[in-house]
Parts: sequence; C-alpha cells; structure tokens
Amino acid sequence: MSHSKRLILLFCSILSFAAAALLFPGAEGESSVTAPATLPPAQPSSEDLVPPCRNKKRAAWRDEQVIEDVPISASPACEPDNPNAVTAFVKGTDRVAMETLMRTRLARDTLIKSDDRDGDGDPDVIRIVLEVIELNGSTPDGDYLFPTYAIAPGIQPGLWVFAPKTRGMAVKHAFTDEANEMLRAPSPVIRVEQGDTVMITLENTHYFPHSIHLHGVDHPWRDAAGHYNDGVPQTGERRVLPGERKTYTITPRQPGTMFYHCHVQTDTHLMMGLNGMFVVEENRPDNWLQTFNVGAGHVRHSSAAVKERYDREYDLHYQALDKELGAIIQSANDPRLIAKAMNREYDLTDATEDYYLLNGHAFPYTLRDALIVAKPDENVKLRVVNAQHGLLALHFHGHKATVTALDGVEQPPGLQVTRDVFDLAPAQRLDLHLQTSDDGLHGYGPGIWLFHDHVESGITTNGMNPGGNISALVYEEFLSEQGMPAVAASIVQPLFSKRFQAGQAPVWQQGEAARLYGDVAPLFPSTGRVIAAGLLVGIGFCLLVIVFRSFSRSR
Amino acid sequence: MHRILLLTFLILLSPTAIGQAPPDQPKQSEPTVRPIASKHPHHRMHIDLDGMVMNENSETLPEGCERIAGEAEITVHAGRTHARRFNGKIFAFDQQQWDVEPCTRLRITLINDDDIRHQWMIHELPVYLHPPFGMFTIELNGKGQKTGTLITPKEKKTYLVHCDLPQHMENGMKAQLKVAGGDGDLSSIPGLTAEETPDRYPVEWPNQAYALLGIAAFTGITIPFLLGGVLRKRNGASPTDRWEKDKDEA
Repeated sequence: MSHSKRLILLFCSILSFAAAALLFPGAEGESSVTAPATLPPAQPSSEDLVPPCRNKKRAAWRDEQVIEDVPISASPACEPDNPNAVTAFVKGTDRVAMETLMRTRLARDTLIKSDDRDGDGDPDVIRIVLEVIELNGSTPDGDYLFPTYAIAPGIQPGLWVFAPKTRGMAVKHAFTDEANEMLRAPSPVIRVEQGDTVMITLENTHYFPHSIHLHGVDHPWRDAAGHYNDGVPQTGERRVLPGERKTYTITPRQPGTMFYHCHVQTDTHLMMGLNGMFVVEENRPDNWLQTFNVGAGHVRHSSAAVKERYDREYDLHYQALDKELGAIIQSANDPRLIAKAMNREYDLTDATEDYYLLNGHAFPYTLRDALIVAKPDENVKLRVVNAQHGLLALHFHGHKATVTALDGVEQPPGLQVTRDVFDLAPAQRLDLHLQTSDDGLHGYGPGIWLFHDHVESGITTNGMNPGGNISALVYEEFLSEQGMPAVAASIVQPLFSKRFQAGQAPVWQQGEAARLYGDVAPLFPSTGRVIAAGLLVGIGFCLLVIVFRSFSRSR
Repeated sequence: MHRILLLTFLILLSPTAIGQAPPDQPKQSEPTVRPIASKHPHHRMHIDLDGMVMNENSETLPEGCERIAGEAEITVHAGRTHARRFNGKIFAFDQQQWDVEPCTRLRITLINDDDIRHQWMIHELPVYLHPPFGMFTIELNGKGQKTGTLITPKEKKTYLVHCDLPQHMENGMKAQLKVAGGDGDLSSIPGLTAEETPDRYPVEWPNQAYALLGIAAFTGITIPFLLGGVLRKRNGASPTDRWEKDKDEA
C-alpha cells in the first residue's frame, strides 16, 4: 500500500473517531413530547432512617424527681439529661452515693465541692476537672471513626470538646463505637457561684497542647501562687501538653453569662469545638448549683436567683464547624502530620463553615434535646452564646423576648430592649427573658414555634435546608408522648434520614409534592446517536487496523 | 445501650454495699479502696478518687483449668514518656507485649506516670468470668498505681490491651497479652506490628536518591549488552545480530 493511501485511510479513521465523539450522547438530553416521569420515592430502609426519638428507656428520666434530696425538674424532651448526673453535678462526684455515680459515667474526682466559707449552707470551694476529648477521630486500626458522635443523621465531623472527667469506656458499650452520653458537643456549660473559689483543672487527655481561657469571667492574670491564669501561651503561660494538668484558680466577683475556650491556636481549636458557656450565678444562701450542664440545653436544677424570677432556664450554645477542618483529624493519625495540616496548611481566611449546631446537634437532632419547652404565662430564662465564626441573628417565631444582660452585664431597665431578632457577634453572650404570655407582643399563644439563626447559612447543614441550628419553642400541649413536637410522622420521619442529610433524597417528598418535585427519571440515551457513535467507532478502529497491517505486510 | 453496663453494675451491687453511704467528707478521709460488689465475691469493682479496678477475678477457674497452674505478676508503666521511643506516638505503655502461661493467676500493677487518666483494659476474656463484656480494667485518675488480678484462660490466644480514652490507643497506648504463645499478633502495636491503615508521609529526593537513580539507569543500559555478550558466547550470535539477519531474510 502506498504512503498516500495509508495517509487517506488514517485521516478517515481519525474523522470517524471525531464524528463518533460528536455524536456520542451527552450527560444531558432533551425529552420527546412528554417530559420524563418522576422517580418513585426510595423505599424506607432501616439503614437509612433513624428513629426520631430512639431513647424510650430514657422516659423515666423525663419526670420531675428527687435524687438524694436534690430536686430535679421535669424535662419532657425526647432526650433529657440523666438525672443521676444532674445529682452528681449538684452534690459533687465525691459526695454523691456510689449507686448514683454508677448510673453515670463520671469519675469519683470529677467535681469536688467543699468549704462553706460564708456559712450560708452551700459549698464555696469548687474543684472541677475537664478532659479534652476527640470525637469522630481516626484510627490506624482500620477505616472507621472512634468514638462516633453524629450531629445529624449520618453526619460525623471530626471535633474536639472539653468534657467532665469520666471513667471506663469512651463508648456506650463494648459492641459499639458510639460515644457515651458524657462525651458530646458542645463543651459543657459550667456554673459556679459568685464569690466561690473555683479551681478548674485541665487534664490534657488529647494529643495536642491545649489551655483554658476564661473569657469574660473575673480572673486574675496570675493566681495567688504566681501561676499564669489567663490560658494564653503568648503572654507566658506554658501550653498544657498531653498527659499534663494545669489548674486555673478564680474567685469571680461578678455574676453573668460568660465563655471559656482553648487559647492555643485559637482560630482552629475554638472552631474544632473547644469552647463552652461559663455562668457565674448570684450568691444566695443554700445555693447548690448544677455545676455542669452537659450538652447545654435545659437546666434541671437552676440557681436560687434564677428560680426567684423564672419558671424554666435553658442554655443555648451556638457553634459552627468547618468540615474541611474536621476532616484533617480524620485524614491522618500522626500528630505531626495533623499539626502541619492544621497549623500551617489550613487557612481560615479561605474557609467556610458547613455545620451549624445548637447544643451540639443540627436539625433535626435538635428536636431531640435542644427544644425549649414551656407552658402559657411562664417566664423563661435563656442564656445564649455565639461560638460561631460569624454573626448570629437569633430569631423566635411567635415571640418577642427581652434582653436582660449583654456579655454577662445586666442592662439598665431603659436598655432592656424587646425584639424578635438578636444579633450576636462571635463570642458574645446574651441573657433573654422570654415570656409565654399571649398578649400579641411577648407571645402570640401556644404552638410549635421555631427559633433559629436568621443569617440563613445558619439554617443549613452542608449548604442544605432544613438543617443547621433550627429548633423549636414547644408548648407542652404540643409535645408528643415521646417528647417530640407533635407533628405528623410523615413530616418528621423523612428528615431523620441519612440519604436526605447527604442530599440524595428530594426535599419535598410528601404526598402530591413527591410527584410534582421528586427526582426526574433519567432519560435513555438517544438510540440513533448510540448506534451512529458505535458504528463510527467500529469503522475508525477497522481503518486503523488496515493501516497498521499494511506496514507489517510491506516489511 | 450504655444502660446495659450500668444495670450490670447495679446487679453486682449487694444490698449491704448500697447501704454503705458514701462518706460525706472531703477527699482526705475517703478510704483509698472501697469494694462495692459482692454478689460474685471475686468479680469485684473498686472505685475511689484515684481510679478503679473493674471486673477482676482472682479465684474462679476458667473452663478447662483444673487448678491455678502458677502465679505471675507484671508491672506496667503508662504515660507520655514511654512513647518517646516511637516516632509519631504520644502515649504508650512501657511494654507492648506480655507472655503468660494459661491457667495462671496474673497480678497486674498499673503505674500511671502522667497527670491524667490512663487505663489498662483487656478485651475478649471469658464473659462468664468477666461479665458482661469479657473485659477487665484498671484505671488511674492521675499519677499513682493500682493492682488487679485475673486468671488466664486455657486457650492459646492473643488479647488486646489498651487505654480506651479517645485517641490514646490510636496514639500508641496499645499492647497485647499472649497466653500460651498467643494466636497471632494484633495490628498497630508500637514497635511490633504494622498499622492497618498507615499514614502517608511526604517523600523527598536527596542527592543520594538521584545518585542511586543514575547508577540504576546506567546498570539498566549495560544489562542488554552484557546479556548480548553472554548469548553470543552461547549461540555464536547476539540477539541484535539475529534480528538483523531475520530482517534480511524477510
């Protein structure tokens, strides 16, 4: 075969391939006269769906009760706090009966209360031990996370929390990787009394250095013994390395809602979750406080001063996580690799937050334990901290609440504004007086009223709504037996789906909406184009073979 | 589900033990060890301000053991300093493996050299000896030491020993107890066995690596010539010669 013939054949072959590429059906196509059908909703599966309220065994925890002479108010939500833990937090883990302590995961030395110095019937020297816990961390033993903590169905970002010192296994039992109830986000609320001497010991159980900075809490820069007390490495304090402990000693003179956080590499360590609310309560006689409120939320044993003025008290901790930051601790085990990735490669100025949490959960898990429950004509005390990276614009449906304190400082009566959106810059705190009176100003009557961040990214999870920090103020008459908002299961259940949270299920999937807005059944690729492309590929290939064979024959 | 564990604790609590109200006194006057379980006299739990020993067994014979074949004792240190031998690890025990004979009463003393909590937790022991999960744990709340006892089963087996605080095993506090020589090795034991999912480390090319590459390339070039020489000696012609010859014939 001559060279010119070969060239022509080669050209034709290339032409065939090019034509085949042009004719190959694309990822999208046009429908014929009728648009494609709607895919039927996926069949519910136990792997995908999570029970909205799974802790039936906790029903007994919801009741009002007295344990070891400690009154604990009713907490009707689906997942109330363990009343035994509340008792231990009131009496101290060293004084509570062993039987009660055994019903918690707390260590004997977690919280020690002593010395009624002013003789008013309550302890005035409080020793608190905090550990640093990694949730959803990686392991060199396989492709799984340990211990797991889901912020929403199927969503387990890497995060760190301060936690009251616990004992035994980190998990619920030997056959699960799920973290026990004490190991969760957010870092616990700490409550102490004005004038108490409080020794907060950080026992660094983590692989990175950490510290505690008591933001807004009255504390000397150096304690009486001359030790640094501000938690800031840049002003002289030694970072607390793994395996070490450091005690911060304070005697706060002013009451108020404050904040605490790690001040080592604050940009990332705060955003990883090492931050919590710190409340200094007014000094009152016989004022035994619930020193920890694990998971924030309902305070089941409020201080004397709060009980004087309010019927119920809730702590609301708003927090945001960046999934890329959390992924760093899940991508390696060697702390040197994690330190490099987190301290030098991760750039917060290029980062965006993906998960917005109220009391450690994103909607719909907020419905389990971050509800505000009230009855008509009640006074509800709310303490709010914004531990997010950006502005929080907290909005209540159906109510206008009144600001009583900003950053822990009580506002004079003329500045106690009543409104329905409260803006908080990062790290700011807000005390609110919410009245459930049906007067058209403070409230519009009973119901299931949402409350959420009105910076709209705050109501998304990984960019998808509904999610984020949405929760609800629910009047008791609108609570189901399980403590969930009494909304039809057909509305609630689809939200408790891992597929839904992963963006794999349509948002509108009930009734007629499922047909109207469900996923479109994919088109079959154009038959003519499939045949033409196939033929052309075949022809082009055949021509190529002829050209190559001509070479070997001529040799 | 954690309530299973708590319930088990409660089952183990005897009425007399519950009746012993905790001392309503500050730290100094609390007894250092306070046994609270006595339904199974040898499956005791001791908990105090310093830590706990959970689920020890010093008397009940494992199935197949006719008697206590011997006594053994190990002392284990735990803490950050023991991980200095292992690059990229933070916490460790001072030893990563213990070999024990079967049916042996083993006394374990855990010494915590850190100011934080550490555990010596062993898994997959017979559930009838260590209910409900077949675990035995010594936990220390900070610096100090505690001793607990177990009787090794008859079977040849390797047991996982670790600290269950999040990221402690993952960062080096992992070891194995081999009874009768054990039935293999566990993964990720510092200094002993490879990790299941090892980290990916950066690679850098120093001059030696380039030199090595150059030498390897030069060797690669010479191999066909050397091979050719050998073949020519054997067949009287080199492969290249033969290829030329074949071409001419065609």
